[in-house]
Amino acid sequence: MCGIVGYAGEKPATPMLIESLKKLEYRGYDSAGITVQNEKLETYKTVGKIVNLEAELPENLGGNVGIGHTRWATHGRPSTVNSHPHTSGNEAKISVVHNGIIENYMKLKERLVEEGYEFKSETDTEVIAHLLHRQVYGSPEACEKQFDLLTGLRKALAEIEGSYAIGALSSDEPGKLFVARKDSPLVIGLGNGENFAASDVTAFLNHTRDVIYVNDFEMAILTPKTVEVYDLDGNPLERRVEKIEWNIEAAEKAGYEHFMLKEIHEQVNSIHNTLAGKISELEGDIFLEDLNMSEKEIRWLSRVQVLACGTSWNAGLLGKYLFEQLAGIHSDIDVCSEYRYRNPVMDERTLAIAITQSGETADTLAAVRGIKSYYCPTLSVTNVVGSTITRETDSIIYTRAGPEIGVAATKTFTAQLTVLYLLAMKFAQLRGKVSPDYVKDFIVQMRKIPGQIQQILNRKETIKECAETFADAKSYFFLGRNLNYPVALEGALKLKEISYIHAEGFAAGELKHGPIALLDEKTPVVAIATRGHTYEKMLSNIKEVKARDAVVIAVADAEDTEIAKYVDVVLRIPSTDELLAPILSTVVLQLLAYYTALARDCSIDKPRNLAKSVTVE
Amino acid sequence: MKAIILAAGEGLRCRPLTLTRSKVMLPVANKPILEHVINSLEENGVKDIILVIGYEKERIMDYFEDGLNFGVNIKYVEQKAQVGTAHAIKQAKKLIGPDDTRFLVLNGDNLVEARTIADLLSNCEGDASLLTVKMEETEGYGVVLTEGKKVKQILEKRPGDVSRIVNTGIYVFTPQVFETIEKTPISEYGEYAITDTLQLMIDEGKTITAVPTDSKWLDAVHAWDLLKANSIVLNAATETVTEGKLEDNVVTKGKVSVGKNTKIRSGTYIVGPVIIGENCDIGPNVVILSSTTIGDNVSIRPFTEIQNSIIMNDCRISSHCCVSNSIIGSNNTLGSYFVAEEKENLEINMNGVIHNAPKLGTIVGDDNNIGCRVLVKAGVTIAVDCQIESGKTLYRHLPRSSVVL
Repeated sequence: MCGIVGYAGEKPATPMLIESLKKLEYRGYDSAGITVQNEKLETYKTVGKIVNLEAELPENLGGNVGIGHTRWATHGRPSTVNSHPHTSGNEAKISVVHNGIIENYMKLKERLVEEGYEFKSETDTEVIAHLLHRQVYGSPEACEKQFDLLTGLRKALAEIEGSYAIGALSSDEPGKLFVARKDSPLVIGLGNGENFAASDVTAFLNHTRDVIYVNDFEMAILTPKTVEVYDLDGNPLERRVEKIEWNIEAAEKAGYEHFMLKEIHEQVNSIHNTLAGKISELEGDIFLEDLNMSEKEIRWLSRVQVLACGTSWNAGLLGKYLFEQLAGIHSDIDVCSEYRYRNPVMDERTLAIAITQSGETADTLAAVRGIKSYYCPTLSVTNVVGSTITRETDSIIYTRAGPEIGVAATKTFTAQLTVLYLLAMKFAQLRGKVSPDYVKDFIVQMRKIPGQIQQILNRKETIKECAETFADAKSYFFLGRNLNYPVALEGALKLKEISYIHAEGFAAGELKHGPIALLDEKTPVVAIATRGHTYEKMLSNIKEVKARDAVVIAVADAEDTEIAKYVDVVLRIPSTDELLAPILSTVVLQLLAYYTALARDCSIDKPRNLAKSVTVE
Repeated sequence: MKAIILAAGEGLRCRPLTLTRSKVMLPVANKPILEHVINSLEENGVKDIILVIGYEKERIMDYFEDGLNFGVNIKYVEQKAQVGTAHAIKQAKKLIGPDDTRFLVLNGDNLVEARTIADLLSNCEGDASLLTVKMEETEGYGVVLTEGKKVKQILEKRPGDVSRIVNTGIYVFTPQVFETIEKTPISEYGEYAITDTLQLMIDEGKTITAVPTDSKWLDAVHAWDLLKANSIVLNAATETVTEGKLEDNVVTKGKVSVGKNTKIRSGTYIVGPVIIGENCDIGPNVVILSSTTIGDNVSIRPFTEIQNSIIMNDCRISSHCCVSNSIIGSNNTLGSYFVAEEKENLEINMNGVIHNAPKLGTIVGDDNNIGCRVLVKAGVTIAVDCQIESGKTLYRHLPRSSVVL
């Protein structure tokens, strides 16, 4: 997981690269580096955040073409030598940045070492630098180029196995920036007298909105005035220029101390946007125009297989419950990193639903690619328009939550839930499992959700007080039953991600089969006890916990007068349908995690060891 | 030129609407008052805006973000305790650079036209300039005594008939003002007021220019004044947009705007000026009469009549309701047959002080759940988070989180 950037223009490259890298810091931040093209290639790199790199740079570093990298270590620990860019040749003829994993790098490395190339780092990326040098110059000492870098890149890529988004510079080809892609995100931005390349459009959105998404097995040469795209045989390609619609300001903090709190607040709007045009209250109907499946196909389905990782998996688990409970379709969910290495059994009557915020999650992409041979219909739920997953699936439903910068997912999670509710209800409707009246009531409740989230935000002081009271806890448990079980998992995930408190989510009924042994008076237990058919059972679980002297924080309905008798703190959600309560409970738990991390003075937007979208496997 | 907009205060006199948002975020013509201010600045080419925020700041930041959608560049500074306008302006000092020879200061909760600001910008001179309007009724406002263009004295909210020239609170300063702000003493009300700073400048012999204007400057002192402001701005609007879907047999007369994804069902009758937001579901057979604005994601069921009212976002108004001369906050559910009685020349008791309201129905804060067949007597207000059972008549103001069984 890393981010790469490149610049070819008329302005000094360094400030452009630094600005872009800062926008990509969410993709990883254990080390960073840049190379700019002057008379020679000049490379600077360091461990830590981009500000550390900035401090290392000499003033007035010249050059109008350059590449940069922010790293999240996979091969080799974070260190200055392991940071990108990696160079090759005497006086650094070639410099390379890379996002992805070279799988056959050991084999390539052995061969290159035999030929006399000297490796400085433990990374797989350095192989690309030397391989390029070898293809262009022939041997480690050679200084005369035999081929141009594009040819060299073509030949080198033919030898590489694995995934990559590459940016490369050669000291013999001034004014040119080379990029290539396979299985890692890469996008080119077309400016006026300047062109950009990056792992994510946010890197250059301040400068241009016209972009070309580079496809797998494509290369491109960027100069200040031109962008040429080639296939791996060196044939030029015509590529369409697309326009990015959302604003960069949406990717900035606008007065908030943290992106996470900003994004929690944005849920009022993001759910409005996700619902916009998709529901009609009076007719009790749901419109999913992006769903590329006929009514007949939906009726014919016998199973839904949800594929996701991390927070998306928690959303997917709720999806599974909804598909079974509402639409009566047998439904499974798997963690993609496991699923793809098993022998997944799929068939034409099983719909695979891949959920990924970024649309670039490597394990999810691999899982989807792995099941294509079964001819099963595929659908993706993602937040990023034009991301890789959208090219891998038959239908796409966008969550329209806007860019999410905080590493801990918040608004994209509730947007994913919203989409899954609509999808499950639509399936239920088409399969005749619910009455029109039921759908209508559901839609009425659904429309109230954005206002009810604002209502929770209006009273967030109570949640803050609760978080501060228990901020010193060593561990936290979250309990939920039925639809509230995914909420318990998500609540625990949020808390551990940003506050570093050990937190576990359990199905409340499982507690007595083991975990209850861990309870004592120092462990806060969050019980999600909203109204529903498991409410009574939940109450008896709460009593079990109280009997072990644990502190119980309940998330309950505004109108629940019973619960306060059994628990220490009650966090209220506005009354809603049993089905929809998970969205509101989630917002409460997001705020609980946020204020806990704040009280513990943690790095909320960039928690240690985590990256926003995991594009390595 | 940069502009500092003061948007940190609550606006106590606009309760219950300001219990959950500050006064600058109250909607007039379906836009927060602050948005009107920012638009007027933008039209005058003032694009670098510093917002001083405090009370319920998230609502402001969520809406305006970095200002890009409004054609301006917004930076935020926080005033942690609301201890006066001079103190608020001081918070923005670090964002006023050496190149800023002059800057504007305005209140975020007064409606100003672009022309009003243009009047000040083209006539400002001396160490400070302040914009004034002539008013018949000056109660509750600060007034100035002038000698030609020069301001002699500034009097804060004093009773009596000293002057009819009201200080609008819109100023142009030079950065030297920060030095005088440092010297400004705390007032008898416990505040550092910018008017005291100005008086100090006058006493020091500096020139303060009064710039009069005839252009529009509206101040909603009390929540019910919003209705008047709403009607004035709606009437003045020239453009209408219809992005939503109007079914057959919907009648619209006059200026009617309908937002994206909104559905107006058959048999609905709308007499403008009316603005309806996005994602609403209205009708069939609803009557919406002049000077009404309806926010986003609102549903209104059959046979309801709404007139001269402000309905904010995420409300659900059931069938057979009658809402006129009223303000309904966000996220309210009104059951069937909800009636807001209306009367003229009401006397409303707020914290022991009697205020006169013109024609008024009710004012409802946010997040209330109101059952069926509820009657609210004229001038009675409902705070936030209240639960009202069906069949009740409300004679008295309902405080926060009340339950009426």
